[in-house]
Amino acid sequence: MKVPHNMTTGDGKKKKQLTSGQIALEILKYVVLIVGAFVMLAPMLWMISTSLTADSVIFSYKLIPERITFQNYVRAWTFPSNFDEAVTLGTFFLNSVLVTALITGPALIVDSLAGYVLARRDIPGKNLLFYMALATMMIPFYVIAVPLFLTVMKLRWLDTYQGMIVPFLASGFGIFMFKQFFQTIPRDLEDAALVDGCSAWRIYWSIMLPLAKPVIGTMAIFKVMWSWNQFLWPLLIINDMRMKTMPLALTMFRGLNVTEWGTLCAGMTIATIPMVIVYLLMQDSFQKGITMGAVKG
Amino acid sequence: MVAPAYIIFLVFVFVPVVWAFYLSFFDYSIMSLRTPRFTGLDNFRRIISDPVFWISLKNTVRYSLGTVPFRMILGLILALILDQTRLVGRKLFRTIYFLPVVTSMVAAAIVWSLVFSASNNGLANQLLAMFGIAPKGWLADSRLAMFSVCVLSVWKDLGYVMTIFTAGLQGVPLELYEACAIDGATAWQRIKFVTIPLLRPTTFFILVTEVIGSFQVFTQTYVMTQGGPGYATTTLINLLHTKGFVQYDMGYASALAVAMFVALFILSWVLRRVFRAEDIVY
Repeated sequence: MKVPHNMTTGDGKKKKQLTSGQIALEILKYVVLIVGAFVMLAPMLWMISTSLTADSVIFSYKLIPERITFQNYVRAWTFPSNFDEAVTLGTFFLNSVLVTALITGPALIVDSLAGYVLARRDIPGKNLLFYMALATMMIPFYVIAVPLFLTVMKLRWLDTYQGMIVPFLASGFGIFMFKQFFQTIPRDLEDAALVDGCSAWRIYWSIMLPLAKPVIGTMAIFKVMWSWNQFLWPLLIINDMRMKTMPLALTMFRGLNVTEWGTLCAGMTIATIPMVIVYLLMQDSFQKGITMGAVKG
Repeated sequence: MVAPAYIIFLVFVFVPVVWAFYLSFFDYSIMSLRTPRFTGLDNFRRIISDPVFWISLKNTVRYSLGTVPFRMILGLILALILDQTRLVGRKLFRTIYFLPVVTSMVAAAIVWSLVFSASNNGLANQLLAMFGIAPKGWLADSRLAMFSVCVLSVWKDLGYVMTIFTAGLQGVPLELYEACAIDGATAWQRIKFVTIPLLRPTTFFILVTEVIGSFQVFTQTYVMTQGGPGYATTTLINLLHTKGFVQYDMGYASALAVAMFVALFILSWVLRRVFRAEDIVY
């Protein structure tokens, strides 16, 4: 249980008379916060307002557009790539959705399975396996970038969905989180299920997974956020225009729309909005997940 | 049941790591049709004698120095301010500060490249115009380009650092603050003698992860400035990407990766020794 802090008074019960110095401090704090908040939001707000400004009219791109138009969005979504008339920003958007979903779903199952087995079942080499999982967290991506590329190339997975998905289906962090969680579940639950004749699979599927909803929620958000915004790996293995994901598409899009900021910003807003929505909806789980990762890490 | 996870680890993590070390001793170019030949330490020698490597190293260090301290200090200040439950709109502020973190770095980099656009339409130049200062070619000027990248990077991840500090602040026992109030300590004294020392484990964690992370910067410089102008914003990973995936000189790229891995491993070990988080005695 978190105890709320109150830094200016030792206990919240007595009302103290604030000195003018303290009032000034409070005002300063708010000023800092508001200026900071504005700096945080300004680029995004400017991007959105630019996306609503018509390219055809020579405006200066101010923070608040003088005339709002949605034509940029229509143009951006159906913008034909220089490869093929049928391949548009919409295609890239769908690619991103597909890759994100196909990483998140299976990864949750793979990680929770491993976490459950490591937490509950006695198999030979359990500790070794656990340390292996932790070790993967310490290996930065650039070290394996080149050989991973060669591996994927030999598997004929360049320019494919599998190539973007499969290498990331297992994560040491995920396994760690699930293992920690499953260890907190009382054994009686499992024993009862075993007495009733449940197989290991059924215990996992019908009992453990439903219980793990909070962890699943947190891990899902991380995976979604990470896969949607992933840039380096798709950049390395995807050359086929039809397979590109949003981040890749944006760099190409920028090249084609260098002078048309309105359309460009519309495309970027389309790319950014989904994650913003996900974040706003799942804020609490997200913040909890990050602090959990930091505290235990 | 653990098989799926560990098969993936094996194929896509552990084997590649070993392979990376192996590759670094070879002249491996998948463009040329000849088989890779063993060249021993030649790749490493090539790296050391490559001026672009040293420029990238310098740039990466400059980037690290230009982002990590700012993120940490600003993050700490914001976390401290937002730690008071009495504050109006506390949750709203936290949300706003975290928002850049969830955006795609690619989109953020493109937006900021527009902000720092050399034209009069760029937000930065519009701001300068308000003060009567002439517009600058932010990304074309080799002195300002890295600055622009640093601004983008601090802006992007500030909320994350702030969140971790907030979590750390929650761990400071309330009784200590009450003791401060009883002893008549000022807010500044309280921060200096209680809050900051007790935040040491958190600060230490953030410092190490941020420093190590900052050396792996790639996307910002690739998208915002393409490593330019010239090599002014080329970082180590930019170099790795160019060598390995544009020039397909994979021996060089692997050697670079291996060298970075070892160097950063040592760096993180050194950081741990120097900033060792001891147990806090109350």
